[in-house]
Amino acid sequence: MINNGTTDGNSTPTRPRPLSPNIQIYRPQLTSVLSIANRVTGLILSLGAVGLVVWLSAAAAGPQTYRVVQDVIESWAGQFALFGCTFAFFLHLCGGIRHLVWDTVHGFELRSIYISGWTVVAASIVLSAAAWTISLFVAGWHP
Amino acid sequence: MIIESSDQVSRLSWLKRFPIPRNFKVTPESRIERGRTWPAPADAKRVKAFEIYRYDPDSGGNPRLDKFHVDVDDCGPMVLDALFWIKNKVDSTLTFRRSCREGVCGSCAMNMDGTNWLACTRFISDLGTNATIYPLANMRIIKDLVPDLTHVFAQYAAIEPWLYSKTPEPEKERLQSPEERSQLDGYYECILCFCCTSGCPSHWWNGNRFLGPAVLLQAWRWLTDSRDEAKGERLDALEDPFRLYRCHTILNCTRTCPKGLNPGKAIAEIKKAIVEREK
Amino acid sequence: MTRESFRSPLARALGLGAAKSGVQHWWAERLTAVALVPLCLWFAASIIAHAGSDYAVFIAWIRTPLATSCMILLLIALFHHSALGLQVVIEDYVHSGVKFVAVIAVRLCCYGLAVVGIIAIVRIALGG
Repeated sequence: MINNGTTDGNSTPTRPRPLSPNIQIYRPQLTSVLSIANRVTGLILSLGAVGLVVWLSAAAAGPQTYRVVQDVIESWAGQFALFGCTFAFFLHLCGGIRHLVWDTVHGFELRSIYISGWTVVAASIVLSAAAWTISLFVAGWHP
Repeated sequence: MIIESSDQVSRLSWLKRFPIPRNFKVTPESRIERGRTWPAPADAKRVKAFEIYRYDPDSGGNPRLDKFHVDVDDCGPMVLDALFWIKNKVDSTLTFRRSCREGVCGSCAMNMDGTNWLACTRFISDLGTNATIYPLANMRIIKDLVPDLTHVFAQYAAIEPWLYSKTPEPEKERLQSPEERSQLDGYYECILCFCCTSGCPSHWWNGNRFLGPAVLLQAWRWLTDSRDEAKGERLDALEDPFRLYRCHTILNCTRTCPKGLNPGKAIAEIKKAIVEREK
Repeated sequence: MTRESFRSPLARALGLGAAKSGVQHWWAERLTAVALVPLCLWFAASIIAHAGSDYAVFIAWIRTPLATSCMILLLIALFHHSALGLQVVIEDYVHSGVKFVAVIAVRLCCYGLAVVGIIAIVRIALGG
């Protein structure tokens, strides 16, 4: 820890200075919330990538192994996880594109930051809903 | 919803802090305990409650949260006026830094209602019903609202914030065109209040090695100065996975700057310069 | 004296000096990200287009040259991007010696999984 107690080194030993609260009291803002969301969705997608490899390996192993994995995916828990991964994917994708634009040093004015931020949130919701609706349609699901 | 400038306060006050325990992952000496509630003034018509972080190094106790009631009609419009009112009329031990009272010195930087700003330019009416005043986030506290800025100033010294010249001194001035001078706009105005650095989560977790937005903005100020002749050496000193690349463009810094500056953009410019010299 | 160190604040801020590297990691993360945008969108579109189809259709689709090559490229870009991102996350939050072990483990797992996935795709593509 840096500069805990007194800095003169001549007085009697003192307790370390307290650290002012940081995440415990700092206001969540679109900036920090979207940033941590990008990180959390990245972590979720890393787990999803493991699932992708499992799924591909099952397909390579033959129709019976593939059926086992498909049953897990088609269960309620599997579909819930898949929906979560879809939303995480679109949020990370849109957030990632926002980051790539920032890397070209564009869009740093506060107005642009907030407009692009809300656009990322809206686009992720719309794209996830569209992906799932179209998938269900293609799969032949009728309401 | 759409913030156009950093002085706008968020109207969505439904979430003032992340939903985690108040003393989450806090070391024993930093635990905030319940403090005393000071009585409201008897004849005041409009009273505002302030919860203020207190710490007395001489008492041997932990930090605490004291609740004060301020007669808003009896004091000026800014939060700094309220702090002076409390110090003059209620508790004279309340300690805080202050100097210019007009937003140019950076002394009164503190965390009000969850965001870092200058107390002298934050209106009391912009704070919520239960206003909270904490010192700058993630700083070692000397007393009450006074943070120890030794480390962040040492990080500032580490980037060598002075003109580096290799060619011999000119007879008169070092010349600079208006376009070259305009490159400094938005960077030279920094008052080193450290609101941005104190609000950066990356600096919270890696502040010992990550330089932080204030220092990096000043680093860009010297990089972009046409009179400076050490651009390569400056970029060498910055290119480090921790000194520079702990910045993940969270952008709390740009959101909170009381002078309306853009540290996030400055850091993006530094990263771009480093890539450009590679390719 | 209870002071931990008598090193000056400037010396503490300078630490071990700048590593003078770090842009390669940053650039690779962006390069893989740019590659992943079209690859992931193509993958998502393919999955949606083949939703509900059976094993034979799925295998026939992977056997097409476009799908085989895109899937392999997807796995390479995905796991490299994932390894770089996870390394940054670990460096952010882990500060003890465990950090080195964790980064090595995560990187090796990512590249191992990429190889497993590529082999699975090749087996499907070449299998009779």
